[in-house]
Amino acid sequence: MSEIAIETKSLCKRYRSHLGMGLPPTLDGLSLRVHEHEVFGFLGKNGAGKTTTIKILCGLVWQNQGEASIFGYSNRDKRARSLVGYLPENPYFYEYLTPRETLDFYGKLNGATVAERNKRWDYLSELLDLIDIANQRVRGFSKGMRQRLGFAVAMAGDPRLLILDEPMSGLDPMGRHMVRDLMLRLCEEKKTVFFSSHILGDVEQVCDRVGILVNGKLHREGALQDLLTRETLRVDVVTRDVPEDTIAVLSTSAQRVYDVDEGVCLSFLSHDDADAAARKIYSGSGRVVSLTPIAETLEDYFVRQQEDGEGAS
Amino acid sequence: MRIRAIAANTYREAIRDKVLYLLLVFGIISIVSSRILGYMSIGDELKIITDISLASISIFGALIAVLVGTNLVYKEIDKRTIYMIISRPIDRYEIILGKYLGLITLLAVTTLVMGIISALYIVLMGGSLGVIYFEAVLLIYWKLLLVTAFSVLLSSLTSPVLGAIIVLSAYVFGHGTGILIDIPVDMQGTYMESLLAAIYFVLPNLSNFDIWKEYANGIEISHTYVVWNMVYGALYTALLLYLATLVFENKDV
Repeated sequence: MSEIAIETKSLCKRYRSHLGMGLPPTLDGLSLRVHEHEVFGFLGKNGAGKTTTIKILCGLVWQNQGEASIFGYSNRDKRARSLVGYLPENPYFYEYLTPRETLDFYGKLNGATVAERNKRWDYLSELLDLIDIANQRVRGFSKGMRQRLGFAVAMAGDPRLLILDEPMSGLDPMGRHMVRDLMLRLCEEKKTVFFSSHILGDVEQVCDRVGILVNGKLHREGALQDLLTRETLRVDVVTRDVPEDTIAVLSTSAQRVYDVDEGVCLSFLSHDDADAAARKIYSGSGRVVSLTPIAETLEDYFVRQQEDGEGAS
Repeated sequence: MRIRAIAANTYREAIRDKVLYLLLVFGIISIVSSRILGYMSIGDELKIITDISLASISIFGALIAVLVGTNLVYKEIDKRTIYMIISRPIDRYEIILGKYLGLITLLAVTTLVMGIISALYIVLMGGSLGVIYFEAVLLIYWKLLLVTAFSVLLSSLTSPVLGAIIVLSAYVFGHGTGILIDIPVDMQGTYMESLLAAIYFVLPNLSNFDIWKEYANGIEISHTYVVWNMVYGALYTALLLYLATLVFENKDV
Protein backbone atom coordinates (compact mmCIF):
# COMPACT_ATOMS: atom_id res chain seq x y z
CA MET A 1 0.00 0.00 0.00
CA SER A 2 1.56 3.28 -1.07
CA GLU A 3 1.80 6.21 1.28
CA ILE A 4 -0.55 9.15 0.91
CA ALA A 5 1.39 12.10 -0.46
CA ILE A 6 -1.39 14.70 -0.30
CA GLU A 7 -4.58 14.60 1.71
CA THR A 8 -7.15 17.33 2.19
CA LYS A 9 -10.27 16.96 4.31
CA SER A 10 -13.24 19.35 3.92
CA LEU A 11 -10.93 22.18 2.95
CA CYS A 12 -12.62 25.58 2.87
CA LYS A 13 -11.19 28.92 1.88
CA ARG A 14 -13.01 32.20 1.67
CA TYR A 15 -10.99 35.31 0.84
CA ARG A 16 -11.90 38.73 2.10
CA SER A 17 -12.20 41.87 0.00
CA HIS A 18 -10.08 44.95 0.80
CA LEU A 19 -13.01 46.27 2.81
CA GLY A 20 -13.05 43.11 4.90
CA MET A 21 -16.24 41.74 3.32
CA GLY A 22 -16.42 37.98 2.79
CA LEU A 23 -16.25 36.89 -0.85
CA PRO A 24 -17.90 33.69 -2.18
CA PRO A 25 -15.93 30.60 -1.08
CA THR A 26 -13.04 29.67 -3.36
CA LEU A 27 -12.85 26.19 -1.83
CA ASP A 28 -15.97 24.66 -0.43
CA GLY A 29 -15.20 21.39 1.37
CA LEU A 30 -12.48 19.97 -0.85
CA SER A 31 -11.48 16.42 0.07
CA LEU A 32 -8.74 14.84 -1.96
CA ARG A 33 -6.12 12.10 -1.79
CA VAL A 34 -3.02 11.71 -3.91
CA HIS A 35 -0.89 8.60 -3.46
CA GLU A 36 2.88 8.45 -3.54
CA HIS A 37 4.48 7.90 -6.99
CA GLU A 38 1.35 9.12 -8.74
CA VAL A 39 1.15 11.79 -11.40
CA PHE A 40 -2.06 13.58 -10.55
CA GLY A 41 -3.66 16.14 -12.86
CA PHE A 42 -5.72 18.75 -11.06
CA LEU A 43 -8.25 20.18 -13.49
CA GLY A 44 -10.81 22.92 -13.37
CA LYS A 45 -11.71 26.06 -15.20
CA ASN A 46 -10.36 29.48 -14.18
CA GLY A 47 -11.48 30.43 -10.67
CA ALA A 48 -12.35 26.83 -9.71
CA GLY A 49 -9.86 26.94 -6.81
CA LYS A 50 -6.85 25.04 -8.21
CA THR A 51 -4.24 27.68 -7.38
CA THR A 52 -5.75 28.27 -3.94
CA THR A 53 -5.52 24.53 -3.18
CA ILE A 54 -1.90 24.51 -4.31
CA LYS A 55 -1.12 27.61 -2.24
CA ILE A 56 -2.67 26.01 0.85
CA LEU A 57 -0.60 22.86 0.34
CA CYS A 58 2.57 24.96 0.00
CA GLY A 59 1.87 27.12 3.07
CA LEU A 60 1.30 30.37 1.17
CA VAL A 61 -2.36 30.67 2.13
CA TRP A 62 -4.15 29.32 5.18
CA GLN A 63 -7.49 27.51 5.02
CA ASN A 64 -10.48 28.76 7.02
CA GLN A 65 -11.65 25.23 7.76
CA GLY A 66 -10.57 21.67 7.11
CA GLU A 67 -7.20 19.97 7.02
CA ALA A 68 -4.41 19.66 4.52
CA SER A 69 -1.41 17.40 4.91
CA ILE A 70 1.64 16.26 2.99
CA PHE A 71 3.03 12.82 3.78
CA GLY A 72 1.14 13.04 7.06
CA TYR A 73 2.49 16.46 8.10
CA SER A 74 0.11 19.38 8.43
CA ASN A 75 0.53 22.14 5.87
CA ARG A 76 1.44 24.44 8.79
CA ASP A 77 4.39 22.20 9.67
CA LYS A 78 7.61 23.11 7.88
CA ARG A 79 8.56 19.43 7.73
CA ALA A 80 5.78 19.14 5.13
CA ARG A 81 7.47 21.81 3.02
CA SER A 82 10.83 20.07 3.24
CA LEU A 83 9.28 17.27 1.17
CA VAL A 84 7.76 19.54 -1.47
CA GLY A 85 9.11 21.32 -4.51
CA TYR A 86 6.76 24.03 -5.75
CA LEU A 87 6.64 25.64 -9.15
CA PRO A 88 4.24 28.60 -9.30
CA GLU A 89 2.50 29.66 -12.49
CA ASN A 90 4.85 32.07 -14.29
CA PRO A 91 7.69 31.70 -11.77
CA TYR A 92 9.29 34.94 -10.56
CA PHE A 93 12.95 35.33 -9.70
CA TYR A 94 15.36 37.94 -8.43
CA GLU A 95 16.30 39.49 -11.75
CA TYR A 96 19.84 40.39 -10.65
CA LEU A 97 20.79 36.80 -9.80
CA THR A 98 22.15 34.26 -12.25
CA PRO A 99 20.65 30.73 -12.44
CA ARG A 100 23.61 29.40 -10.46
CA GLU A 101 23.16 32.04 -7.73
CA THR A 102 19.38 31.51 -7.76
CA LEU A 103 19.72 27.80 -7.18
CA ASP A 104 22.36 28.37 -4.52
CA PHE A 105 20.05 30.80 -2.68
CA TYR A 106 17.10 28.41 -2.63
CA GLY A 107 19.43 25.53 -1.75
CA LYS A 108 20.48 27.47 1.34
CA LEU A 109 16.82 27.96 2.27
CA ASN A 110 16.43 24.20 2.01
CA GLY A 111 19.26 23.86 4.52
CA ALA A 112 21.65 22.19 2.05
CA THR A 113 25.41 22.32 2.62
CA VAL A 114 27.82 23.81 0.06
CA ALA A 115 28.76 20.34 -1.19
CA GLU A 116 25.10 19.33 -1.51
CA ARG A 117 24.26 22.54 -3.36
CA ASN A 118 27.13 22.07 -5.80
CA LYS A 119 26.15 18.47 -6.43
CA ARG A 120 22.53 19.47 -7.01
CA TRP A 121 23.59 22.22 -9.40
CA ASP A 122 25.67 19.74 -11.42
CA TYR A 123 22.68 17.42 -11.73
CA LEU A 124 19.98 20.00 -12.41
CA SER A 125 21.99 22.22 -14.75
CA GLU A 126 22.58 19.23 -16.98
CA LEU A 127 19.03 17.90 -16.71
CA LEU A 128 17.46 21.28 -17.47
CA ASP A 129 20.07 22.56 -19.89
CA LEU A 130 21.15 25.50 -17.72
CA ILE A 131 24.90 25.20 -18.19
CA ASP A 132 25.15 27.72 -21.06
CA ILE A 133 23.13 30.34 -19.17
CA ALA A 134 24.58 29.56 -15.73
CA ASN A 135 26.21 32.96 -15.30
CA GLN A 136 23.71 35.18 -17.14
CA ARG A 137 21.38 37.37 -15.10
CA VAL A 138 17.76 36.19 -15.08
CA ARG A 139 16.66 39.60 -16.41
CA GLY A 140 16.01 39.10 -20.11
CA PHE A 141 15.34 35.36 -19.89
CA SER A 142 12.62 33.96 -22.19
CA LYS A 143 9.54 32.22 -20.81
CA GLY A 144 11.05 28.82 -21.61
CA MET A 145 14.34 29.61 -19.85
CA ARG A 146 12.46 30.88 -16.80
CA GLN A 147 10.36 27.70 -16.72
CA ARG A 148 13.49 25.55 -16.84
CA LEU A 149 14.99 27.55 -14.01
CA GLY A 150 11.68 27.31 -12.14
CA PHE A 151 11.83 23.52 -12.38
CA ALA A 152 15.41 23.59 -11.14
CA VAL A 153 14.39 25.72 -8.14
CA ALA A 154 11.44 23.40 -7.41
CA MET A 155 13.76 20.40 -7.54
CA ALA A 156 16.58 22.08 -5.59
CA GLY A 157 15.83 20.21 -2.37
CA ASP A 158 15.38 16.83 -4.12
CA PRO A 159 11.73 16.71 -2.97
CA ARG A 160 9.55 13.60 -2.85
CA LEU A 161 6.57 15.58 -4.11
CA LEU A 162 6.44 18.21 -6.85
CA ILE A 163 3.51 20.60 -6.92
CA LEU A 164 3.32 22.40 -10.23
CA ASP A 165 0.84 25.17 -10.98
CA GLU A 166 0.12 25.35 -14.72
CA PRO A 167 3.63 24.18 -15.68
CA MET A 168 2.86 24.30 -19.41
CA SER A 169 1.13 27.66 -19.44
CA GLY A 170 2.47 30.08 -22.03
CA LEU A 171 5.10 27.68 -23.37
CA ASP A 172 5.72 27.00 -27.05
CA PRO A 173 5.44 23.38 -28.34
CA MET A 174 9.11 22.75 -27.61
CA GLY A 175 8.70 24.04 -24.07
CA ARG A 176 5.63 21.88 -23.50
CA HIS A 177 7.50 18.90 -24.87
CA MET A 178 10.33 19.61 -22.41
CA VAL A 179 7.89 19.79 -19.49
CA ARG A 180 6.17 16.55 -20.53
CA ASP A 181 9.49 14.75 -20.84
CA LEU A 182 10.57 16.09 -17.48
CA MET A 183 7.39 14.89 -15.82
CA LEU A 184 7.84 11.43 -17.31
CA ARG A 185 11.42 11.47 -16.02
CA LEU A 186 10.15 12.41 -12.55
CA CYS A 187 7.79 9.42 -12.75
CA GLU A 188 10.73 7.16 -13.51
CA GLU A 189 12.52 8.62 -10.49
CA LYS A 190 9.51 7.60 -8.36
CA LYS A 191 8.55 11.16 -7.52
CA THR A 192 4.98 12.15 -6.87
CA VAL A 193 3.74 14.91 -9.15
CA PHE A 194 0.63 16.99 -8.53
CA PHE A 195 -0.07 19.58 -11.18
CA SER A 196 -2.80 21.79 -12.52
CA SER A 197 -3.17 22.45 -16.21
CA HIS A 198 -5.51 23.71 -18.87
CA ILE A 199 -3.75 21.81 -21.61
CA LEU A 200 -5.76 18.62 -21.40
CA GLY A 201 -4.00 16.83 -24.25
CA ASP A 202 -0.76 17.04 -22.28
CA VAL A 203 -2.49 16.01 -19.05
CA GLU A 204 -3.83 12.91 -20.78
CA GLN A 205 -0.32 11.92 -21.86
CA VAL A 206 1.34 12.07 -18.45
CA CYS A 207 -1.30 11.57 -15.73
CA ASP A 208 -2.15 8.43 -13.81
CA ARG A 209 -5.16 10.03 -12.19
CA VAL A 210 -7.05 13.29 -12.50
CA GLY A 211 -9.38 15.27 -10.28
CA ILE A 212 -11.88 17.77 -11.60
CA LEU A 213 -12.64 20.75 -9.43
CA VAL A 214 -15.96 22.54 -9.94
CA ASN A 215 -16.87 25.55 -7.82
CA GLY A 216 -14.39 24.70 -5.07
CA LYS A 217 -15.45 21.05 -4.74
CA LEU A 218 -13.93 17.90 -6.16
CA HIS A 219 -16.55 16.86 -8.71
CA ARG A 220 -14.82 13.73 -10.07
CA GLU A 221 -11.54 11.93 -9.48
CA GLY A 222 -10.04 8.70 -10.68
CA ALA A 223 -7.70 6.91 -13.02
CA LEU A 224 -7.96 8.06 -16.62
CA GLN A 225 -8.82 4.56 -17.88
CA ASP A 226 -11.70 4.40 -15.41
CA LEU A 227 -13.05 7.86 -16.14
CA LEU A 228 -12.88 7.90 -19.91
CA THR A 229 -15.32 5.51 -21.55
CA ARG A 230 -12.97 4.86 -24.48
CA GLU A 231 -16.10 3.85 -26.37
CA THR A 232 -16.54 5.29 -29.81
CA LEU A 233 -18.34 8.60 -29.51
CA ARG A 234 -18.69 9.13 -33.23
CA VAL A 235 -17.24 8.02 -36.56
CA ASP A 236 -15.89 10.67 -38.93
CA VAL A 237 -16.08 9.88 -42.64
CA VAL A 238 -14.03 12.20 -44.86
CA THR A 239 -15.14 12.10 -48.49
CA ARG A 240 -14.14 13.63 -51.81
CA ASP A 241 -15.87 14.14 -55.17
CA VAL A 242 -19.28 13.19 -53.78
CA PRO A 243 -22.23 14.79 -55.65
CA GLU A 244 -24.17 17.34 -53.65
CA ASP A 245 -27.44 15.41 -53.85
CA THR A 246 -25.72 12.36 -52.25
CA ILE A 247 -24.31 14.59 -49.47
CA ALA A 248 -27.83 15.95 -48.92
CA VAL A 249 -29.20 12.40 -48.54
CA LEU A 250 -26.38 11.36 -46.18
CA SER A 251 -26.74 14.45 -44.01
CA THR A 252 -30.11 13.24 -42.83
CA SER A 253 -28.40 10.39 -40.91
CA ALA A 254 -25.20 12.33 -40.09
CA GLN A 255 -24.84 14.21 -36.83
CA ARG A 256 -22.75 16.92 -38.44
CA VAL A 257 -21.47 17.80 -41.93
CA TYR A 258 -18.58 20.23 -42.46
CA ASP A 259 -15.86 21.10 -44.93
CA VAL A 260 -12.28 19.96 -44.34
CA ASP A 261 -9.12 20.40 -46.44
CA GLU A 262 -9.52 16.98 -48.08
CA GLY A 263 -13.23 17.43 -48.91
CA VAL A 264 -16.31 17.02 -46.75
CA CYS A 265 -16.48 15.36 -43.32
CA LEU A 266 -19.62 13.55 -42.18
CA SER A 267 -19.87 12.63 -38.50
CA PHE A 268 -22.02 9.64 -37.53
CA LEU A 269 -22.97 8.43 -34.08
CA SER A 270 -22.66 4.74 -34.96
CA HIS A 271 -20.40 2.49 -36.98
CA ASP A 272 -23.41 1.13 -38.83
CA ASP A 273 -24.45 4.55 -40.10
CA ALA A 274 -20.87 5.33 -41.12
CA ASP A 275 -20.52 2.00 -42.96
CA ALA A 276 -23.83 2.55 -44.74
CA ALA A 277 -22.71 6.02 -45.80
CA ALA A 278 -19.38 4.68 -47.08
CA ARG A 279 -21.15 2.00 -49.13
CA LYS A 280 -23.44 4.61 -50.66
CA ILE A 281 -20.45 6.83 -51.55
CA TYR A 282 -18.59 3.88 -53.15
CA SER A 283 -21.62 2.92 -55.17
CA GLY A 284 -21.63 6.40 -56.76
CA SER A 285 -18.73 8.39 -58.14
CA GLY A 286 -17.36 9.62 -54.79
CA ARG A 287 -14.35 8.47 -52.75
CA VAL A 288 -13.89 7.84 -49.05
CA VAL A 289 -10.61 9.43 -47.91
CA SER A 290 -10.79 8.20 -44.33
CA LEU A 291 -13.13 6.58 -41.84
CA THR A 292 -12.08 7.32 -38.26
CA PRO A 293 -13.75 6.19 -35.01
CA ILE A 294 -13.41 8.97 -32.42
CA ALA A 295 -13.17 7.94 -28.75
CA GLU A 296 -13.82 10.25 -25.80
CA THR A 297 -10.87 12.47 -24.96
CA LEU A 298 -10.08 13.99 -21.61
CA GLU A 299 -11.23 17.32 -23.02
CA ASP A 300 -14.66 15.85 -23.92
CA TYR A 301 -14.88 14.32 -20.46
CA PHE A 302 -13.79 17.55 -18.77
CA VAL A 303 -16.39 19.63 -20.61
CA ARG A 304 -19.10 17.05 -19.82
CA GLN A 305 -18.19 16.98 -16.12
CA GLN A 306 -17.92 20.73 -15.95
CA GLU A 307 -21.46 21.07 -17.33
CA ASP A 308 -22.74 18.34 -14.98
CA GLY A 309 -21.08 19.96 -11.97
CA GLU A 310 -22.33 23.43 -12.73
CA GLY A 311 -25.81 22.06 -13.44
CA ALA A 312 -25.84 20.25 -10.08
CA SER A 313 -24.74 23.35 -8.13
CA MET B 1 21.81 29.76 7.65
CA ARG B 2 18.34 30.53 6.24
CA ILE B 3 18.12 33.90 8.00
CA ARG B 4 21.63 34.76 6.83
CA ALA B 5 20.78 33.78 3.23
CA ILE B 6 17.70 36.02 3.24
CA ALA B 7 19.63 38.86 4.90
CA ALA B 8 22.42 38.63 2.31
CA ASN B 9 19.90 38.61 -0.53
CA THR B 10 17.99 41.55 0.96
CA TYR B 11 21.22 43.52 1.28
CA ARG B 12 22.13 42.66 -2.28
CA GLU B 13 18.73 43.77 -3.52
CA ALA B 14 18.66 46.98 -1.44
CA ILE B 15 22.05 48.22 -2.64
CA ARG B 16 20.56 48.21 -6.15
CA ASP B 17 17.84 50.64 -5.06
CA LYS B 18 18.39 54.03 -6.74
CA VAL B 19 16.53 55.79 -3.88
CA LEU B 20 19.32 54.68 -1.54
CA TYR B 21 22.02 56.45 -3.56
CA LEU B 22 19.89 59.53 -4.05
CA LEU B 23 19.36 59.86 -0.29
CA LEU B 24 22.98 59.07 0.49
CA VAL B 25 24.18 61.77 -1.93
CA PHE B 26 21.70 64.28 -0.47
CA GLY B 27 22.88 63.34 3.03
CA ILE B 28 26.51 63.96 2.09
CA ILE B 29 25.63 67.24 0.31
CA SER B 30 23.74 68.30 3.43
CA ILE B 31 26.78 67.53 5.64
CA VAL B 32 29.17 69.41 3.38
CA SER B 33 26.83 72.39 2.90
CA SER B 34 26.44 72.80 6.69
CA ARG B 35 29.31 75.27 6.47
CA ILE B 36 27.10 77.73 4.58
CA LEU B 37 24.75 77.94 7.55
CA GLY B 38 27.79 77.98 9.82
CA TYR B 39 28.95 81.22 8.16
CA MET B 40 25.64 82.87 9.05
CA SER B 41 25.96 82.13 12.74
CA ILE B 42 28.46 84.44 14.33
CA GLY B 43 30.98 82.58 16.47
CA ASP B 44 29.02 79.29 16.46
CA GLU B 45 30.22 77.96 13.12
CA LEU B 46 31.59 74.66 14.44
CA LYS B 47 28.49 74.07 16.56
CA ILE B 48 26.23 74.53 13.51
CA ILE B 49 28.40 72.28 11.34
CA THR B 50 28.35 69.53 14.00
CA ASP B 51 24.63 69.98 14.56
CA ILE B 52 23.67 69.84 10.88
CA SER B 53 26.11 67.03 10.03
CA LEU B 54 24.71 64.70 12.70
CA ALA B 55 21.12 65.76 11.97
CA SER B 56 21.74 64.86 8.31
CA ILE B 57 22.91 61.37 9.29
CA SER B 58 19.78 60.97 11.39
CA ILE B 59 17.26 62.32 8.87
CA PHE B 60 18.65 60.77 5.70
CA GLY B 61 19.26 57.49 7.53
CA ALA B 62 15.62 57.52 8.63
CA LEU B 63 14.44 58.26 5.08
CA ILE B 64 16.45 55.28 3.78
CA ALA B 65 15.03 53.07 6.57
CA VAL B 66 11.46 54.17 5.76
CA LEU B 67 11.57 54.22 1.97
CA VAL B 68 13.46 50.92 1.62
CA GLY B 69 11.94 49.30 4.73
CA THR B 70 8.28 49.86 3.83
CA ASN B 71 8.94 48.13 0.49
CA LEU B 72 10.77 45.19 1.97
CA VAL B 73 8.04 42.56 2.47
CA TYR B 74 5.45 44.22 0.24
CA LYS B 75 7.69 44.06 -2.83
CA GLU B 76 8.37 40.34 -2.29
CA ILE B 77 4.62 39.69 -2.23
CA ASP B 78 3.85 42.06 -5.09
CA LYS B 79 6.56 40.57 -7.32
CA ARG B 80 5.65 37.06 -6.13
CA THR B 81 9.27 36.18 -5.36
CA ILE B 82 7.99 35.29 -1.87
CA TYR B 83 6.20 32.19 -3.28
CA MET B 84 9.34 30.17 -3.71
CA ILE B 85 10.69 31.28 -0.32
CA ILE B 86 7.67 30.51 1.86
CA SER B 87 7.20 27.13 0.17
CA ARG B 88 10.60 26.08 1.57
CA PRO B 89 11.07 24.53 5.02
CA ILE B 90 11.38 27.95 6.62
CA ASP B 91 9.48 29.69 9.40
CA ARG B 92 7.92 33.00 8.51
CA TYR B 93 9.70 34.75 11.38
CA GLU B 94 12.98 33.78 9.72
CA ILE B 95 11.90 35.70 6.62
CA ILE B 96 11.05 38.82 8.65
CA LEU B 97 14.30 38.61 10.62
CA GLY B 98 16.36 37.99 7.49
CA LYS B 99 14.81 40.95 5.70
CA TYR B 100 15.31 43.14 8.76
CA LEU B 101 18.95 42.11 9.23
CA GLY B 102 19.66 42.73 5.54
CA LEU B 103 18.36 46.27 5.75
CA ILE B 104 20.04 47.16 9.05
CA THR B 105 23.33 45.90 7.63
CA LEU B 106 22.85 48.29 4.75
CA LEU B 107 21.97 51.08 7.18
CA ALA B 108 25.14 50.31 9.16
CA VAL B 109 27.13 50.88 5.96
CA THR B 110 25.32 54.14 5.03
CA THR B 111 25.55 55.45 8.63
CA LEU B 112 29.25 54.58 8.69
CA VAL B 113 29.87 56.34 5.36
CA MET B 114 27.99 59.48 6.46
CA GLY B 115 29.53 59.28 9.95
CA ILE B 116 33.10 59.12 8.58
CA ILE B 117 32.48 61.98 6.11
CA SER B 118 30.91 64.04 8.91
CA ALA B 119 33.82 63.28 11.29
CA LEU B 120 36.42 64.23 8.68
CA TYR B 121 34.52 67.42 7.94
CA ILE B 122 34.27 68.42 11.60
CA VAL B 123 38.00 67.77 12.09
CA LEU B 124 38.78 69.66 8.90
CA MET B 125 36.80 72.61 10.20
CA GLY B 126 38.94 72.63 13.34
CA GLY B 127 36.66 70.66 15.69
CA SER B 128 37.51 67.65 17.84
CA LEU B 129 35.56 64.41 18.06
CA GLY B 130 35.99 62.42 21.27
CA VAL B 131 34.07 59.29 22.34
CA ILE B 132 30.80 61.19 22.52
CA TYR B 133 30.82 61.76 18.73
CA PHE B 134 30.87 58.00 18.17
CA GLU B 135 28.20 57.51 20.84
CA ALA B 136 26.03 60.11 19.10
CA VAL B 137 26.38 58.28 15.76
CA LEU B 138 25.76 54.93 17.49
CA LEU B 139 22.52 56.22 19.02
CA ILE B 140 21.40 57.59 15.65
CA TYR B 141 21.95 54.10 14.25
CA TRP B 142 20.05 52.64 17.22
CA LYS B 143 17.13 54.89 16.40
CA LEU B 144 17.27 53.68 12.80
CA LEU B 145 16.99 50.08 14.07
CA LEU B 146 13.70 51.02 15.69
CA VAL B 147 12.43 52.95 12.64
CA THR B 148 13.38 50.03 10.38
CA ALA B 149 11.48 47.56 12.59
CA PHE B 150 8.39 49.78 12.38
CA SER B 151 8.83 50.05 8.59
CA VAL B 152 9.05 46.25 8.29
CA LEU B 153 5.87 45.90 10.38
CA LEU B 154 4.04 48.34 8.10
CA SER B 155 5.48 46.60 5.04
CA SER B 156 3.77 43.38 6.16
CA LEU B 157 0.50 45.25 6.63
CA THR B 158 0.02 47.78 3.90
CA SER B 159 1.29 49.42 0.71
CA PRO B 160 4.69 51.18 0.69
CA VAL B 161 3.12 54.64 0.18
CA LEU B 162 0.69 54.35 3.08
CA GLY B 163 3.35 52.61 5.19
CA ALA B 164 5.87 55.40 4.53
CA ILE B 165 3.30 58.08 5.45
CA ILE B 166 2.49 56.30 8.73
CA VAL B 167 6.12 55.66 9.68
CA LEU B 168 7.23 59.20 8.81
CA SER B 169 4.31 60.63 10.81
CA ALA B 170 5.27 58.41 13.75
CA TYR B 171 8.88 59.52 13.30
CA VAL B 172 7.93 63.18 13.56
CA PHE B 173 5.55 62.52 16.45
CA GLY B 174 8.13 60.32 18.18
CA HIS B 175 10.47 63.31 18.36
CA GLY B 176 7.86 65.44 20.06
CA THR B 177 6.44 63.14 22.72
CA GLY B 178 7.92 65.47 25.36
CA ILE B 179 4.89 67.76 24.95
CA LEU B 180 2.67 64.97 26.30
CA ILE B 181 4.08 65.40 29.82
CA ASP B 182 4.78 69.10 29.52
CA ILE B 183 1.15 70.03 30.26
CA PRO B 184 -0.42 73.26 31.54
CA VAL B 185 -0.85 73.66 35.31
CA ASP B 186 -4.67 73.49 35.18
CA MET B 187 -4.51 69.99 33.60
CA GLN B 188 -2.30 68.60 36.33
CA GLY B 189 -3.94 65.98 38.54
CA THR B 190 -6.68 65.28 35.94
CA TYR B 191 -7.43 62.09 34.03
CA MET B 192 -6.03 63.82 30.95
CA GLU B 193 -2.64 64.03 32.61
CA SER B 194 -2.70 60.27 33.32
CA LEU B 195 -3.83 59.51 29.77
CA LEU B 196 -1.13 61.67 28.20
CA ALA B 197 1.45 60.18 30.55
CA ALA B 198 0.34 56.68 29.51
CA ILE B 199 0.68 57.59 25.81
CA TYR B 200 4.08 59.09 26.58
CA PHE B 201 5.28 55.82 28.09
CA VAL B 202 3.80 53.65 25.31
CA LEU B 203 5.15 55.61 22.34
CA PRO B 204 8.88 55.54 21.73
CA ASN B 205 10.59 58.79 22.58
CA LEU B 206 12.89 59.14 19.60
CA SER B 207 14.48 62.36 20.85
CA ASN B 208 16.15 60.25 23.56
CA PHE B 209 18.47 59.01 20.81
CA ASP B 210 19.46 62.52 19.69
CA ILE B 211 22.42 63.18 21.98
CA TRP B 212 24.10 64.96 19.06
CA LYS B 213 22.29 68.14 20.16
CA GLU B 214 24.02 67.94 23.54
CA TYR B 215 27.30 67.03 21.84
CA ALA B 216 27.09 70.05 19.52
CA ASN B 217 26.45 72.29 22.52
CA GLY B 218 29.28 70.78 24.52
CA ILE B 219 27.00 69.29 27.19
CA GLU B 220 28.28 66.18 28.98
CA ILE B 221 26.40 62.90 28.46
CA SER B 222 27.08 59.87 30.64
CA HIS B 223 27.84 56.47 29.14
CA THR B 224 25.11 55.00 31.33
CA TYR B 225 22.57 57.24 29.61
CA VAL B 226 23.73 55.94 26.24
CA VAL B 227 23.53 52.30 27.38
CA TRP B 228 20.03 52.73 28.84
CA ASN B 229 18.80 54.29 25.63
CA MET B 230 20.22 51.38 23.71
CA VAL B 231 18.33 48.95 25.97
CA TYR B 232 15.19 51.09 25.55
CA GLY B 233 15.56 51.04 21.74
CA ALA B 234 16.30 47.32 21.65
CA LEU B 235 13.12 46.51 23.62
CA TYR B 236 10.95 48.61 21.30
CA THR B 237 12.61 47.09 18.25
CA ALA B 238 12.07 43.55 19.55
CA LEU B 239 8.40 44.33 20.21
CA LEU B 240 7.88 45.76 16.72
CA LEU B 241 9.61 42.79 15.09
CA TYR B 242 7.46 40.43 17.15
CA LEU B 243 4.34 42.23 15.91
CA ALA B 244 5.62 42.10 12.32
CA THR B 245 6.11 38.34 12.70
CA LEU B 246 2.61 37.90 14.11
CA VAL B 247 1.10 39.82 11.19
CA PHE B 248 3.14 37.97 8.57
CA GLU B 249 2.54 34.57 10.19
CA ASN B 250 -1.17 34.71 9.38
CA LYS B 251 -0.99 36.58 6.12
CA ASP B 252 -2.17 34.99 2.87
CA VAL B 253 0.33 35.71 0.10
